[in-house]
Amino acid sequence: MSAHNESILREPLITGENITYSKITNDVLVPVENKPNKAWWIGFGIAVAFALTWVVTISYTFWVGLGTWGLNKTVGWAWDITGFVWWVGIGHAGTLISAVLLLFRQNWRNSINRSAEAMTIFAVICAATYIFAHMGRPWLAYWVFPLPNQFGSLWVNFNSPLVWDVFAISTYFSVSLVFWYTGLLPDIATIRDRATGARRRIYSILSFGWAGSVKNWQRFEAVSLILAGVSTPLVLSVHTIVSFDFATSLEPGWHTTIFPPYFVAGAIFSGFAMVQTLLLIARKVMKWENYITMFHIESMNKVIIVTGSIVGVAYLTELFIAWYSGVEYEQYAFLNRISGPYWWAYWSMMTCNVISPQLFWFKKIRTSIWASWVLSIVVNIGMWFERFVIIVTSLHRDFIPSSWVMFYPTVVDVLLFVGSIGVFFTLFLLFLRVLPGIAMAEVKLILKSSSDQAKQKLIREGKVDPEQAEFYKNSLEKYDSVSKTEYANI
Amino acid sequence: MESNKKYWKGLDELQRTPEFAEKNKNEFAEELPLEEVLSESGLNTVTPRRDFLKTLGFGLGAVSLAACQTAPVHKSIPYLIKPEEVTPGVPNYYVSSYNGQSILVKTREGRPIKVEGNGTGLFGNHGTDATAQASVLDLYDVSKLKSPKLNGAETSWKELDAFVKGELNKVQASGKKIRIVSSTVTSPSAKSVIAEFISQYPNTTHVQADAVSYSGIIQANGSSFGKAVLPRYRFDRADVIVSFGADFLGTWIAGEEFTKQYVSNRNAQSLKKGKMSRHIQFEAGMSMTGTNADSRIAVKPSEMGLAVLALYNAVTGSQTGGAQIGNNTAADKAVKLAAKELQNARGRALVVAGSNDVAIQTVVNAINAALGSYGATIDLDNPFYTYSGNDASFNAFVDEMGRGEVGAVFFLNTNPAYTYFNSKAFSDALAKVPLKVSFADREDETASLCNVIATNANYLESWGDENAFEGYYTLIQPAINPVFSTRQAEQSLLIWSDNAQKNYYQYVKAYWEKNLLPAAGKTWKQLLQEGFVYTGEKPATAYTFGGNVAAASQAIATQSKALAKDIEVQLYESVAIRDGRHANNAFLQELPDPVSKVTWDNYAAVAPKFAEEQGIEEFDLIEIKGANGYTVVLPVLLQPGQAKGTISIAVGYGRTKTGKAGNGVGKNAYPFASVVNGTVQFLTTATISKTGGKMELAQTQTHHSYEGRTVIREASFKNYLKDPHTGNDKHQGEHKTYDLWPEHKQIGHSWVMAIDLNACTGCGSCVVACNVENNIPVVGKDEVRRRREMHWIRIDRYYSFNEGGKSVTEEKEIEKLDNFDDVSVVHQPMLCQHCDHAPCETVCPVIATMHSSDGLNHMAYNRCVGTRYCANNCPYKVRRFNWFNYWNDSRFDNYLNNEFSQLLLNPDVTTRSRGVMEKCTMCIQRIQGGRLQAKLEKRPLKDGEIQMACQQACTAGAIIFGDFNDPNSEVRKALGDERTYYVLQELNVQPGIGYQTKVRNTVEA
Repeated sequence: MSAHNESILREPLITGENITYSKITNDVLVPVENKPNKAWWIGFGIAVAFALTWVVTISYTFWVGLGTWGLNKTVGWAWDITGFVWWVGIGHAGTLISAVLLLFRQNWRNSINRSAEAMTIFAVICAATYIFAHMGRPWLAYWVFPLPNQFGSLWVNFNSPLVWDVFAISTYFSVSLVFWYTGLLPDIATIRDRATGARRRIYSILSFGWAGSVKNWQRFEAVSLILAGVSTPLVLSVHTIVSFDFATSLEPGWHTTIFPPYFVAGAIFSGFAMVQTLLLIARKVMKWENYITMFHIESMNKVIIVTGSIVGVAYLTELFIAWYSGVEYEQYAFLNRISGPYWWAYWSMMTCNVISPQLFWFKKIRTSIWASWVLSIVVNIGMWFERFVIIVTSLHRDFIPSSWVMFYPTVVDVLLFVGSIGVFFTLFLLFLRVLPGIAMAEVKLILKSSSDQAKQKLIREGKVDPEQAEFYKNSLEKYDSVSKTEYANI
Repeated sequence: MESNKKYWKGLDELQRTPEFAEKNKNEFAEELPLEEVLSESGLNTVTPRRDFLKTLGFGLGAVSLAACQTAPVHKSIPYLIKPEEVTPGVPNYYVSSYNGQSILVKTREGRPIKVEGNGTGLFGNHGTDATAQASVLDLYDVSKLKSPKLNGAETSWKELDAFVKGELNKVQASGKKIRIVSSTVTSPSAKSVIAEFISQYPNTTHVQADAVSYSGIIQANGSSFGKAVLPRYRFDRADVIVSFGADFLGTWIAGEEFTKQYVSNRNAQSLKKGKMSRHIQFEAGMSMTGTNADSRIAVKPSEMGLAVLALYNAVTGSQTGGAQIGNNTAADKAVKLAAKELQNARGRALVVAGSNDVAIQTVVNAINAALGSYGATIDLDNPFYTYSGNDASFNAFVDEMGRGEVGAVFFLNTNPAYTYFNSKAFSDALAKVPLKVSFADREDETASLCNVIATNANYLESWGDENAFEGYYTLIQPAINPVFSTRQAEQSLLIWSDNAQKNYYQYVKAYWEKNLLPAAGKTWKQLLQEGFVYTGEKPATAYTFGGNVAAASQAIATQSKALAKDIEVQLYESVAIRDGRHANNAFLQELPDPVSKVTWDNYAAVAPKFAEEQGIEEFDLIEIKGANGYTVVLPVLLQPGQAKGTISIAVGYGRTKTGKAGNGVGKNAYPFASVVNGTVQFLTTATISKTGGKMELAQTQTHHSYEGRTVIREASFKNYLKDPHTGNDKHQGEHKTYDLWPEHKQIGHSWVMAIDLNACTGCGSCVVACNVENNIPVVGKDEVRRRREMHWIRIDRYYSFNEGGKSVTEEKEIEKLDNFDDVSVVHQPMLCQHCDHAPCETVCPVIATMHSSDGLNHMAYNRCVGTRYCANNCPYKVRRFNWFNYWNDSRFDNYLNNEFSQLLLNPDVTTRSRGVMEKCTMCIQRIQGGRLQAKLEKRPLKDGEIQMACQQACTAGAIIFGDFNDPNSEVRKALGDERTYYVLQELNVQPGIGYQTKVRNTVEA
């Protein structure tokens, strides 16, 4: 995008020496062009095992009925919708990174958007499985679409948030898929150009005849921008609509106007955590430290602090409003969350989502790979609990005390959720094997301006203020991919 | 750039010849042969042979291809010769009788599918109890024998008759005794059959004994008044009722009849007149009657007799027996208050006791005599005949058998091998009898010890009669031919005694025509239509109390001392299973106990504080060792209101040979009983020990307080008299409803319901009635434990505790209480409220649930995809989801998953598939039926013409259904009552069911 020299004050987005376009290609395509290594096989083996568990449990559920789950007459949704909202939420980081950050010209997104978008798509797939699975008669799932009456089904209820959900999720999935695939075209063409035989033919088809001409690039940029514009509202709308499932109902604890912003913040929060979880490992295993640098990690951690704090404020606001409303059902619902039989779920949520991300205020922690990874997992757990708390603790004790019950998950509930994680990782690991996990073309775009070697060159050429150069050098302290001795020479 | 070039299609165009111009003025240059085609000739062209063959070939081929598809085979067989009275789709009703109550049996295409009370009957009213509602399922019980059995092998009636007759003659010749053992027989025809049998075999005696005996009352009345009968109690004439452990609304003598009487002094009509009876209950375990009492005082069984004596002393001013009721100061105080109230209501007072102890009943008689109850609230001249068993005669019979004096025994409607407290002694003695005949319909505990099982027919397959009380005779008429190879016991007896009349139908008819019909001035045909005759009340005679209170007080003191141990055990009959005869009825097993809400089990009910002292928790399995050494392991249920130091256990459970559904459900408690003062008493002392195990009971309700919410509204009678709105004023003034949209005009009908919390006793017959009417699946113990029972109507039961004159309803505060004894209970039937702004309707993605123009919330099962969003959004939590295919799953064998019991299904109601939501439809099939009927008869619908199943079953009349748009309808009037409120009306869901506040006639001492 920008061919001019970037300010030396900005931290580099690509580190390492002698990074050339071809080196980027070689580095990124290592997993695609080579036989997978042991680490991949182990990971894939585990993921597939869990995915098969999912296949077995979902088949069992379809065969026998939803009675295999722990639901009951009062708690009609539990792990199913918890899982659904959790997965949809995770997807949000991908869209935010690829669309919103593109519009805001945050170049650091270029290294992570591809994997994040893939994550979005796989997460939405996992979420969609829950939509099917939670239905009593999943073979009639197509009835929720507004198909013409001639087709045999009837018109749908546009008052129902579940119908809005159907539109939100399907739009989200299709736009994300198109955006992701459009971004992939130049990279697929690169693979095609380097491949032979059948692979070449396959990638050739997949590349849609990308020739790398100026016209191609021009249109590519235009489409990316348009799709970013289309996707940006989705970042806000999808989880807003998911939150409507709850907000428009009259269950105490669900019937809350704060839900849309609170859900969106929570979604981005959990999504970034998931991106961290995935990329911290990927960068290590794939040796992508030069492209996904400490700057990226730290930036994502900063997003996590912000969104985590928003979520925290939302939790407190909910409590305040419940008390302030003077509605006894509302008050009881929140009192019950805090101190009822599921208090441990509430406090797990509070600890994981509100307290633990605050640790990122410490630079040491937010630039530590291990701490970031552990906290990203903690956040993911916390966000699962958030949905569980909202869904189960609201339902299990609502208006009529005679119907108050406890919810206990069955083995099927648990295996289905664990299995869905297996499905997700299976898809993600397959993705890493066949498509570039980093958007090569987009990284190449910033090589000349935002890479460490470009900046070193500027310093070496004495084109920058030495004071600023010193500042720049100091900022590299946290990088684990920059050798400090090198800078002694300059 | 515009081009002026012209192209032409041919020389014609270029030259523009006139022919060309003529031809091209139309769209098509060459004329279309339309005229030709449409003209006669075109249509009449002869089909050429080839075309004909082509068409023929195609037609044949197509038809044969189409025929290849397997067309669905419908197994419906039309009536070849249609019976005159059967029209498919139209039910027939037959009068019959169940437990002395005249009923109507609804049959569809020859299958009995529902039982309703006969509204004109005199015993009970339009309503029935849960057991009557469930009794149709017994007809379709798969565990019944399909043919008679001789020495363990299936046999024919001919062989069986030859065998029994041969044996009988041998016994007769040997001079040994013949015994017919039965529970109480009220049937005059059957009694006559037995009498004729006895004249044929003079060694015979008829021994009547009831599993749950009323010998105590009968004997006490014998000694007190010289009239050994079970008197007819008149709760409708009583303003003050004191009950010592008598569950008279549930299991005691005639619960339905008493409910009708009792509620008549407490329902809306009575309150409107400013009248409400006062009911004081002294009892150990919390009974259904106790939950309805205005004051309820927990007393131990050992204190019960003392309390009765104390009341006697307080009423008469005498000083018999001890002055104190154990250490129970609350009871002391309550007895004194009760005495005052009883004396103020002389002639309108009634004291009853549930005890089977002659001594206690004698003192009760003395109290009632002192209060002038005889001839007013107690009628000795028109007694009940429903229980006339004699404990002593049965004990004597066991001894006779033990001595080898009995040569033949016949068991009719009785199962002593299970119900007799010393069943080992019984079975050992029985082994010495050569001919043992059981008339059981299944191989039950006693039948399996017999060498002959002469399978009796179900009452719906039988002829017969009953005599519930003096002068009231009801007819049993079959509604279906015997399904299996069964024969009525009476007919068997006729055949075995070589009676001239071997057909019991003819016998009954002849008996009635000779003895009963002439007096009533009715014909047999009229009887078949009306179902009963009543020969009128016998005039009252004066009775003077002649009992020995001093001796009774001695006996009470001894008994009390014997019982006053650390832990006293009281046995009781549960409302659903009763003495155990309903154990294989899945509907009744799944009917939650009115008090504990436990299904599919009996349990050891203990007071929460007592459990704490003993270090036991809810659902702990404890071993209870009775005074006679019998031990049983039962789960603990914490029962507020239970007297400390007592355990209540229901009898009727722990059946081993009742059938698929009931075998092994709970534990048998009968062996705890013992004979004291000549009668069987359901009391013992016990020691308990923890086994370390736990067993979760299957409860349909696990939270028991209403948390101070306006869901329940109560008032004291005193305050009600001052202001009928009282208790209903949490939201000051009239509740306003708001709407964002223009109001839907409900032209035509607007179906609504009114439920009077003050009339509802919580008995649960509405629940069973709804189950039977609407084909509701029975899901079994495990599924209830998972909180997935399918009942469309449930009865919520809430406890609140009284401390310092304040009602404590919130869980957190209840936990802090020191005393759980003073507990108040309220029952609230809860079903789909058919909200006008139904929250379930807006959230369904596929519009499977929607509103009808007449105010009903519809559920289209076929459209439902099962997201359960509607159930989540229902504030009343009345929607039920089909978690499994209950009719195609071997785990649910007890009812729907069985071809035979599926015959019970109501053909007017769809069965639901797995994955579909269901809920109360407001018996839409009945509404439609009623509307169609009115339409056929070209008249408007009458109020009350359409009745809901729950409403119809409700003896108390707590449920009223009708059209709100009809200004004169009952329901409109009921909803206009000052007590009316709508549950959760503040949510503006605008429910269609109004409730009337619970009023308690409490008195501050």
